[in-house]
Amino acid sequence: MAKIAIDPITRIEGHLRIEAQIDGGQVTDAWSSSTMFRGLEIIMKGRDPRGSWLMAQRI
Amino acid sequence: MVDHPDGTLMDALVRKGVTRRDFLKFCSVMAGTLALPASMVPKVAHALETATRPPLVWLEFQDCAGCTESLLRANQPTVAELVLDVLSLNYHETIMAPSGAQAEKSLEDTVNAGGYLTVVEGSIPTGENGIYCCIGGRTAVDILQEVASNTAAIIAVGACATYGGWPSTPPNPTEAKGVHEIVSGVPIVSMSGCPYNVDNLTATVVHYLTFNKLPDMDDLGRPLFAYGRRIHDNCERRGHFDAGEFVREWGDEGHRNGWCLYQMGCKGPITFHNCPTIRWNQGTNWPVGGGHGCIGCSQPNFWENPAYETTGIFEVTPPQTFPPTEEGGISPAGAGAIGAAAGVAAGVAGAVAVRQITKESE
Repeated sequence: MAKIAIDPITRIEGHLRIEAQIDGGQVTDAWSSSTMFRGLEIIMKGRDPRGSWLMAQRI
Repeated sequence: MVDHPDGTLMDALVRKGVTRRDFLKFCSVMAGTLALPASMVPKVAHALETATRPPLVWLEFQDCAGCTESLLRANQPTVAELVLDVLSLNYHETIMAPSGAQAEKSLEDTVNAGGYLTVVEGSIPTGENGIYCCIGGRTAVDILQEVASNTAAIIAVGACATYGGWPSTPPNPTEAKGVHEIVSGVPIVSMSGCPYNVDNLTATVVHYLTFNKLPDMDDLGRPLFAYGRRIHDNCERRGHFDAGEFVREWGDEGHRNGWCLYQMGCKGPITFHNCPTIRWNQGTNWPVGGGHGCIGCSQPNFWENPAYETTGIFEVTPPQTFPPTEEGGISPAGAGAIGAAAGVAAGVAGAVAVRQITKESE
Protein backbone atom coordinates (compact mmCIF):
# COMPACT_ATOMS: atom_id res chain seq x y z
CA MET A 1 0.00 0.00 0.00
CA ALA A 2 1.52 3.27 -1.09
CA LYS A 3 0.15 6.76 -1.45
CA ILE A 4 1.51 9.07 -4.12
CA ALA A 5 0.95 12.77 -4.68
CA ILE A 6 1.37 14.58 -7.99
CA ASP A 7 1.52 18.33 -7.46
CA PRO A 8 1.47 20.33 -9.64
CA ILE A 9 -0.44 18.65 -12.43
CA THR A 10 0.89 20.48 -15.49
CA ARG A 11 -0.55 21.26 -18.93
CA ILE A 12 -3.85 22.39 -17.49
CA GLU A 13 -5.25 25.81 -16.71
CA GLY A 14 -5.23 26.36 -12.96
CA HIS A 15 -3.56 24.59 -10.08
CA LEU A 16 -4.29 20.95 -9.29
CA ARG A 17 -2.98 18.32 -6.88
CA ILE A 18 -3.80 14.61 -7.22
CA GLU A 19 -3.20 12.03 -4.51
CA ALA A 20 -3.69 8.34 -5.20
CA GLN A 21 -3.72 5.22 -3.10
CA ILE A 22 -1.91 2.39 -4.87
CA ASP A 23 -2.63 -1.20 -3.89
CA GLY A 24 -0.95 -4.05 -5.78
CA GLY A 25 -0.33 -1.87 -8.82
CA GLN A 26 -3.93 -0.67 -8.87
CA VAL A 27 -5.22 2.76 -7.92
CA THR A 28 -7.78 1.98 -5.24
CA ASP A 29 -8.65 5.50 -4.17
CA ALA A 30 -7.83 9.02 -5.33
CA TRP A 31 -8.31 12.62 -4.19
CA SER A 32 -8.02 15.86 -6.13
CA SER A 33 -7.54 19.34 -4.72
CA SER A 34 -7.66 22.68 -6.42
CA THR A 35 -4.81 24.46 -4.68
CA MET A 36 -5.69 28.05 -5.54
CA PHE A 37 -8.57 30.28 -4.41
CA ARG A 38 -9.32 33.89 -5.30
CA GLY A 39 -12.88 34.46 -4.04
CA LEU A 40 -14.55 36.06 -7.05
CA GLU A 41 -17.95 35.01 -5.67
CA ILE A 42 -17.25 37.00 -2.51
CA ILE A 43 -15.93 40.03 -4.37
CA MET A 44 -18.90 40.18 -6.79
CA LYS A 45 -21.53 40.46 -4.04
CA GLY A 46 -23.30 43.81 -4.18
CA ARG A 47 -21.41 45.10 -7.22
CA ASP A 48 -23.03 47.01 -10.08
CA PRO A 49 -23.72 44.37 -12.77
CA ARG A 50 -22.91 46.86 -15.54
CA GLY A 51 -19.26 46.76 -14.56
CA SER A 52 -19.10 43.26 -13.14
CA TRP A 53 -18.53 41.56 -16.48
CA LEU A 54 -15.08 43.14 -16.58
CA MET A 55 -14.15 40.90 -13.65
CA ALA A 56 -16.43 37.91 -14.19
CA GLN A 57 -15.10 37.22 -17.69
CA ARG A 58 -11.57 37.15 -16.29
CA ILE A 59 -11.99 34.05 -14.16
CA MET B 1 24.05 35.64 -18.52
CA VAL B 2 24.84 32.00 -17.96
CA ASP B 3 26.36 29.83 -20.66
CA HIS B 4 23.84 27.63 -22.33
CA PRO B 5 24.81 24.22 -23.66
CA ASP B 6 22.84 24.83 -26.86
CA GLY B 7 24.98 27.79 -27.94
CA THR B 8 23.85 31.25 -28.96
CA LEU B 9 20.39 32.31 -29.81
CA MET B 10 21.30 32.68 -33.51
CA ASP B 11 22.60 29.08 -33.55
CA ALA B 12 19.28 27.98 -32.17
CA LEU B 13 17.34 29.97 -34.76
CA VAL B 14 19.49 28.63 -37.62
CA ARG B 15 18.74 25.10 -36.46
CA LYS B 16 15.07 25.94 -36.70
CA GLY B 17 15.55 27.01 -40.33
CA VAL B 18 15.22 30.75 -39.72
CA THR B 19 16.98 32.58 -42.59
CA ARG B 20 19.27 35.54 -42.04
CA ARG B 21 16.78 37.72 -43.91
CA ASP B 22 13.97 36.70 -41.55
CA PHE B 23 16.27 37.20 -38.60
CA LEU B 24 17.13 40.78 -39.64
CA LYS B 25 13.46 41.47 -40.32
CA PHE B 26 12.69 40.36 -36.77
CA CYS B 27 15.48 42.63 -35.45
CA SER B 28 13.99 45.58 -37.37
CA VAL B 29 10.52 44.93 -35.99
CA MET B 30 11.93 44.70 -32.47
CA ALA B 31 13.94 47.92 -32.89
CA GLY B 32 10.78 49.59 -34.15
CA THR B 33 8.72 48.33 -31.22
CA LEU B 34 11.37 49.59 -28.81
CA ALA B 35 11.32 52.98 -30.58
CA LEU B 36 15.00 52.61 -31.46
CA PRO B 37 16.37 54.31 -34.59
CA ALA B 38 17.07 52.14 -37.65
CA SER B 39 20.79 52.62 -37.00
CA MET B 40 20.38 50.44 -33.90
CA VAL B 41 19.23 47.37 -35.88
CA PRO B 42 22.81 46.05 -36.35
CA LYS B 43 23.41 46.37 -32.59
CA VAL B 44 20.23 44.45 -31.85
CA ALA B 45 21.21 41.82 -34.44
CA HIS B 46 24.73 41.52 -33.02
CA ALA B 47 23.42 41.13 -29.49
CA LEU B 48 20.97 38.44 -30.52
CA GLU B 49 23.60 36.62 -32.58
CA THR B 50 26.01 36.40 -29.69
CA ALA B 51 23.73 36.19 -26.66
CA THR B 52 23.26 32.89 -24.97
CA ARG B 53 19.69 31.86 -24.54
CA PRO B 54 18.40 33.29 -21.31
CA PRO B 55 16.73 30.67 -19.13
CA LEU B 56 13.24 31.76 -18.18
CA VAL B 57 11.05 30.73 -15.29
CA TRP B 58 7.33 31.44 -15.63
CA LEU B 59 5.46 31.41 -12.34
CA GLU B 60 1.68 31.22 -12.21
CA PHE B 61 -0.07 32.11 -8.99
CA GLN B 62 -3.62 33.54 -8.68
CA ASP B 63 -4.02 33.69 -12.45
CA CYS B 64 -6.55 32.84 -15.14
CA ALA B 65 -3.88 31.72 -17.67
CA GLY B 66 -4.98 34.62 -19.90
CA CYS B 67 -1.42 35.95 -19.96
CA THR B 68 -0.20 32.47 -20.86
CA GLU B 69 -2.69 32.52 -23.74
CA SER B 70 -1.17 35.83 -24.76
CA LEU B 71 2.29 34.20 -24.71
CA LEU B 72 1.06 31.43 -26.97
CA ARG B 73 -0.12 34.06 -29.46
CA ALA B 74 3.48 35.19 -30.02
CA ASN B 75 4.38 35.40 -33.69
CA GLN B 76 7.57 37.44 -33.52
CA PRO B 77 9.17 34.95 -33.28
CA THR B 78 6.62 32.18 -33.65
CA VAL B 79 5.57 30.51 -30.45
CA ALA B 80 7.75 27.48 -31.00
CA GLU B 81 10.81 29.65 -31.53
CA LEU B 82 10.01 31.80 -28.55
CA VAL B 83 9.47 28.87 -26.25
CA LEU B 84 12.11 26.49 -27.50
CA ASP B 85 14.83 28.67 -28.96
CA VAL B 86 14.81 32.35 -28.15
CA LEU B 87 14.08 31.74 -24.51
CA SER B 88 15.03 28.60 -22.69
CA LEU B 89 11.72 28.18 -20.91
CA ASN B 90 12.72 25.97 -18.01
CA TYR B 91 9.51 26.08 -16.01
CA HIS B 92 5.94 26.88 -17.01
CA GLU B 93 3.15 24.87 -15.41
CA THR B 94 0.64 25.21 -18.24
CA ILE B 95 2.90 24.05 -21.06
CA MET B 96 5.73 21.98 -19.54
CA ALA B 97 5.88 18.20 -20.02
CA PRO B 98 6.87 17.01 -16.52
CA SER B 99 4.42 17.08 -13.62
CA GLY B 100 4.75 16.85 -9.87
CA ALA B 101 8.19 16.40 -8.35
CA GLN B 102 9.89 16.36 -11.77
CA ALA B 103 8.42 19.78 -12.58
CA GLU B 104 9.56 21.18 -9.26
CA LYS B 105 13.05 19.79 -9.88
CA SER B 106 13.29 21.82 -13.13
CA LEU B 107 12.53 24.92 -11.09
CA GLU B 108 15.00 24.04 -8.36
CA ASP B 109 17.83 23.35 -10.86
CA THR B 110 17.22 26.67 -12.64
CA VAL B 111 17.12 28.64 -9.41
CA ASN B 112 20.35 27.02 -8.21
CA ALA B 113 22.10 27.84 -11.52
CA GLY B 114 21.05 31.52 -11.34
CA GLY B 115 21.15 34.13 -14.11
CA TYR B 116 17.60 33.48 -15.25
CA LEU B 117 14.72 35.80 -16.01
CA THR B 118 11.49 35.36 -14.09
CA VAL B 119 8.01 36.08 -15.40
CA VAL B 120 5.21 36.25 -12.85
CA GLU B 121 1.57 35.84 -13.84
CA GLY B 122 -1.19 36.24 -11.27
CA SER B 123 -1.41 37.89 -7.86
CA ILE B 124 0.11 36.51 -4.69
CA PRO B 125 -2.21 35.78 -1.75
CA THR B 126 -0.78 36.69 1.65
CA GLY B 127 -3.80 35.99 3.90
CA GLU B 128 -3.80 32.97 6.25
CA ASN B 129 -0.05 32.55 5.78
CA GLY B 130 -0.45 32.27 2.02
CA ILE B 131 -2.49 29.07 1.87
CA TYR B 132 -4.80 30.37 -0.87
CA CYS B 133 -2.26 29.40 -3.52
CA CYS B 134 0.03 26.41 -3.04
CA ILE B 135 2.12 24.60 -5.64
CA GLY B 136 3.99 21.42 -4.80
CA GLY B 137 2.97 21.95 -1.19
CA ARG B 138 4.59 25.40 -0.94
CA THR B 139 2.87 28.76 -0.82
CA ALA B 140 3.09 31.29 -3.66
CA VAL B 141 4.84 33.76 -1.33
CA ASP B 142 7.55 31.20 -0.48
CA ILE B 143 8.08 30.21 -4.10
CA LEU B 144 8.25 33.81 -5.34
CA GLN B 145 10.70 34.87 -2.65
CA GLU B 146 12.98 31.94 -3.35
CA VAL B 147 12.92 32.38 -7.12
CA ALA B 148 13.44 36.15 -6.73
CA SER B 149 16.50 35.60 -4.54
CA ASN B 150 18.66 34.43 -7.45
CA THR B 151 17.02 35.92 -10.57
CA ALA B 152 18.50 38.57 -12.87
CA ALA B 153 15.18 40.39 -13.21
CA ILE B 154 11.47 39.89 -12.78
CA ILE B 155 8.90 40.69 -15.43
CA ALA B 156 5.43 40.96 -13.88
CA VAL B 157 2.83 40.37 -16.58
CA GLY B 158 -0.85 41.25 -16.49
CA ALA B 159 -3.00 43.28 -14.11
CA CYS B 160 -2.80 40.73 -11.25
CA ALA B 161 0.98 40.41 -11.02
CA THR B 162 1.54 44.14 -11.52
CA TYR B 163 -1.16 45.69 -9.33
CA GLY B 164 -2.83 42.79 -7.52
CA GLY B 165 -5.58 42.59 -10.13
CA TRP B 166 -9.23 41.86 -9.42
CA PRO B 167 -8.39 39.30 -6.69
CA SER B 168 -7.17 42.29 -4.65
CA THR B 169 -10.49 44.15 -5.01
CA PRO B 170 -12.23 44.89 -1.70
CA PRO B 171 -12.94 42.92 0.40
CA ASN B 172 -9.81 41.16 -0.98
CA PRO B 173 -10.68 37.81 0.64
CA THR B 174 -7.23 36.28 0.12
CA GLU B 175 -5.20 39.48 0.75
CA ALA B 176 -3.86 39.26 -2.80
CA LYS B 177 -0.92 41.48 -3.75
CA GLY B 178 1.21 42.35 -6.77
CA VAL B 179 4.88 41.40 -7.16
CA HIS B 180 6.13 44.86 -6.08
CA GLU B 181 4.54 44.41 -2.68
CA ILE B 182 6.27 41.07 -2.05
CA VAL B 183 9.70 41.39 -3.62
CA SER B 184 12.36 44.07 -3.20
CA GLY B 185 15.99 44.40 -4.19
CA VAL B 186 15.44 42.88 -7.66
CA PRO B 187 14.82 44.83 -10.90
CA ILE B 188 11.11 44.47 -11.68
CA VAL B 189 9.42 45.54 -14.88
CA SER B 190 5.63 45.71 -14.97
CA MET B 191 3.87 44.77 -18.19
CA SER B 192 0.34 45.66 -17.24
CA GLY B 193 -2.71 44.95 -19.35
CA CYS B 194 -5.35 42.29 -19.06
CA PRO B 195 -3.70 40.43 -20.63
CA TYR B 196 -0.29 41.99 -21.38
CA ASN B 197 0.80 41.94 -25.03
CA VAL B 198 3.38 39.27 -25.84
CA ASP B 199 5.11 41.39 -28.48
CA ASN B 200 6.01 43.81 -25.70
CA LEU B 201 7.47 40.95 -23.64
CA THR B 202 9.55 39.83 -26.60
CA ALA B 203 10.74 43.41 -27.12
CA THR B 204 11.65 43.72 -23.44
CA VAL B 205 13.71 40.53 -23.63
CA VAL B 206 15.43 41.80 -26.80
CA HIS B 207 16.18 45.08 -25.04
CA TYR B 208 17.63 43.16 -22.12
CA LEU B 209 19.85 41.08 -24.42
CA THR B 210 20.97 44.11 -26.44
CA PHE B 211 21.71 46.56 -23.64
CA ASN B 212 22.06 44.23 -20.63
CA LYS B 213 19.45 46.18 -18.72
CA LEU B 214 15.71 46.61 -18.54
CA PRO B 215 14.11 49.37 -20.63
CA ASP B 216 13.31 52.81 -19.16
CA MET B 217 10.12 52.75 -17.13
CA ASP B 218 7.38 55.09 -15.93
CA ASP B 219 6.42 55.67 -12.29
CA LEU B 220 4.34 52.45 -12.29
CA GLY B 221 7.38 50.44 -13.46
CA ARG B 222 6.04 50.02 -17.00
CA PRO B 223 8.44 50.21 -19.96
CA LEU B 224 8.03 53.55 -21.71
CA PHE B 225 8.34 52.12 -25.21
CA ALA B 226 5.04 50.32 -24.66
CA TYR B 227 3.30 52.47 -22.03
CA GLY B 228 4.68 55.93 -22.79
CA ARG B 229 1.70 57.24 -24.74
CA ARG B 230 -2.04 57.23 -24.35
CA ILE B 231 -4.21 54.96 -26.48
CA HIS B 232 -5.92 58.20 -27.54
CA ASP B 233 -2.65 59.64 -28.91
CA ASN B 234 -2.23 56.99 -31.58
CA CYS B 235 -5.82 55.89 -32.10
CA GLU B 236 -6.87 55.41 -35.70
CA ARG B 237 -10.20 57.06 -34.82
CA ARG B 238 -8.54 60.15 -33.39
CA GLY B 239 -9.43 62.17 -36.47
CA HIS B 240 -13.11 61.59 -35.72
CA PHE B 241 -12.59 62.74 -32.12
CA ASP B 242 -10.98 65.96 -33.31
CA ALA B 243 -13.78 66.48 -35.83
CA GLY B 244 -16.49 65.91 -33.23
CA GLU B 245 -17.71 62.76 -34.96
CA PHE B 246 -18.89 60.45 -32.20
CA VAL B 247 -20.77 57.18 -31.91
CA ARG B 248 -23.85 58.07 -29.83
CA GLU B 249 -25.58 54.71 -29.77
CA TRP B 250 -24.46 51.16 -30.55
CA GLY B 251 -25.19 50.43 -34.19
CA ASP B 252 -25.91 54.02 -35.19
CA GLU B 253 -24.53 55.52 -38.38
CA GLY B 254 -21.43 56.80 -36.62
CA HIS B 255 -20.74 53.32 -35.24
CA ARG B 256 -21.12 51.80 -38.68
CA ASN B 257 -18.76 54.44 -40.06
CA GLY B 258 -16.09 53.77 -37.46
CA TRP B 259 -16.33 57.10 -35.62
CA CYS B 260 -14.87 57.92 -32.21
CA LEU B 261 -16.07 55.79 -29.26
CA TYR B 262 -15.33 58.37 -26.56
CA GLN B 263 -19.01 59.09 -25.86
CA MET B 264 -19.61 55.34 -25.47
CA GLY B 265 -17.18 55.17 -22.59
CA CYS B 266 -13.85 54.61 -24.34
CA LYS B 267 -11.01 54.90 -21.80
CA GLY B 268 -8.40 55.64 -24.47
CA PRO B 269 -7.77 59.19 -23.20
CA ILE B 270 -6.71 57.96 -19.74
CA THR B 271 -4.97 54.71 -20.71
CA PHE B 272 -1.30 54.23 -21.46
CA HIS B 273 -0.57 51.33 -23.82
CA ASN B 274 0.63 50.78 -27.40
CA CYS B 275 -2.40 48.75 -28.57
CA PRO B 276 -3.20 51.06 -31.52
CA THR B 277 0.21 50.48 -33.09
CA ILE B 278 1.17 46.95 -32.00
CA ARG B 279 -2.38 45.52 -32.01
CA TRP B 280 -3.33 41.96 -30.99
CA ASN B 281 -3.49 38.45 -32.41
CA GLN B 282 -0.54 38.82 -34.74
CA GLY B 283 -1.38 42.44 -35.48
CA THR B 284 -4.84 41.56 -36.76
CA ASN B 285 -6.92 44.07 -34.85
CA TRP B 286 -7.56 45.64 -31.46
CA PRO B 287 -10.67 46.42 -29.40
CA VAL B 288 -11.31 49.91 -30.78
CA GLY B 289 -10.77 48.59 -34.32
CA GLY B 290 -13.45 46.02 -33.50
CA GLY B 291 -15.95 48.75 -32.59
CA HIS B 292 -15.77 48.73 -28.77
CA GLY B 293 -14.19 51.40 -26.62
CA CYS B 294 -10.96 50.78 -24.75
CA ILE B 295 -11.66 49.48 -21.22
CA GLY B 296 -8.34 50.80 -19.92
CA CYS B 297 -6.99 47.40 -18.90
CA SER B 298 -3.39 48.57 -18.49
CA GLN B 299 -4.37 51.05 -15.74
CA PRO B 300 -4.67 50.08 -12.06
CA ASN B 301 -8.14 48.84 -10.99
CA PHE B 302 -9.57 49.36 -14.46
CA TRP B 303 -12.79 47.48 -13.65
CA GLU B 304 -13.74 50.26 -11.22
CA ASN B 305 -14.23 52.65 -14.17
CA PRO B 306 -17.78 52.06 -15.43
CA ALA B 307 -17.18 50.64 -18.89
CA TYR B 308 -19.88 52.64 -20.68
CA GLU B 309 -19.62 55.99 -18.96
CA THR B 310 -17.43 58.68 -20.47
CA THR B 311 -14.18 59.24 -18.66
CA GLY B 312 -15.56 62.56 -17.43
CA ILE B 313 -12.80 64.65 -18.92
CA PHE B 314 -14.92 67.04 -20.88
CA GLU B 315 -17.83 67.18 -23.27
CA VAL B 316 -16.76 68.11 -26.74
CA THR B 317 -18.85 70.66 -28.54
CA PRO B 318 -18.20 70.27 -32.24
CA PRO B 319 -17.52 73.49 -34.11
CA GLN B 320 -20.42 74.91 -36.12
CA THR B 321 -18.38 75.36 -39.26
CA PHE B 322 -18.38 71.81 -40.61
CA PRO B 323 -19.82 71.42 -44.06
CA PRO B 324 -23.23 69.73 -44.06
CA THR B 325 -22.50 66.12 -44.88
CA GLU B 326 -25.70 64.32 -44.00
CA GLU B 327 -28.53 66.30 -45.54
CA GLY B 328 -28.88 68.96 -48.19
CA GLY B 329 -26.59 69.45 -51.13
CA ILE B 330 -23.47 71.46 -51.30
CA SER B 331 -21.30 72.28 -54.27
CA PRO B 332 -17.87 70.67 -54.40
CA ALA B 333 -16.19 74.09 -54.50
CA GLY B 334 -18.19 75.30 -51.49
CA ALA B 335 -17.42 72.14 -49.57
CA GLY B 336 -13.74 72.66 -50.23
CA ALA B 337 -13.78 76.23 -48.92
CA ILE B 338 -15.84 75.36 -45.84
CA GLY B 339 -13.76 72.23 -45.32
CA ALA B 340 -10.54 74.25 -45.26
CA ALA B 341 -11.98 76.59 -42.63
CA ALA B 342 -13.33 73.66 -40.63
CA GLY B 343 -9.95 71.99 -40.81
CA VAL B 344 -8.33 74.96 -39.09
CA ALA B 345 -11.08 75.07 -36.48
CA ALA B 346 -10.89 71.32 -35.85
CA GLY B 347 -7.13 71.52 -35.53
CA VAL B 348 -7.42 74.18 -32.86
CA ALA B 349 -10.18 72.24 -31.10
CA GLY B 350 -8.03 69.14 -31.16
CA ALA B 351 -5.06 70.95 -29.65
CA VAL B 352 -7.26 72.39 -26.91
CA ALA B 353 -8.71 68.94 -26.27
CA VAL B 354 -5.27 67.41 -25.88
CA ARG B 355 -4.24 70.08 -23.41
CA GLN B 356 -7.39 69.56 -21.39
CA ILE B 357 -6.87 65.80 -21.25
CA THR B 358 -3.26 66.25 -20.23
CA LYS B 359 -4.19 68.68 -17.50
CA GLU B 360 -7.01 66.50 -16.27
CA SER B 361 -4.95 63.34 -15.97
CA GLU B 362 -1.82 64.82 -14.43
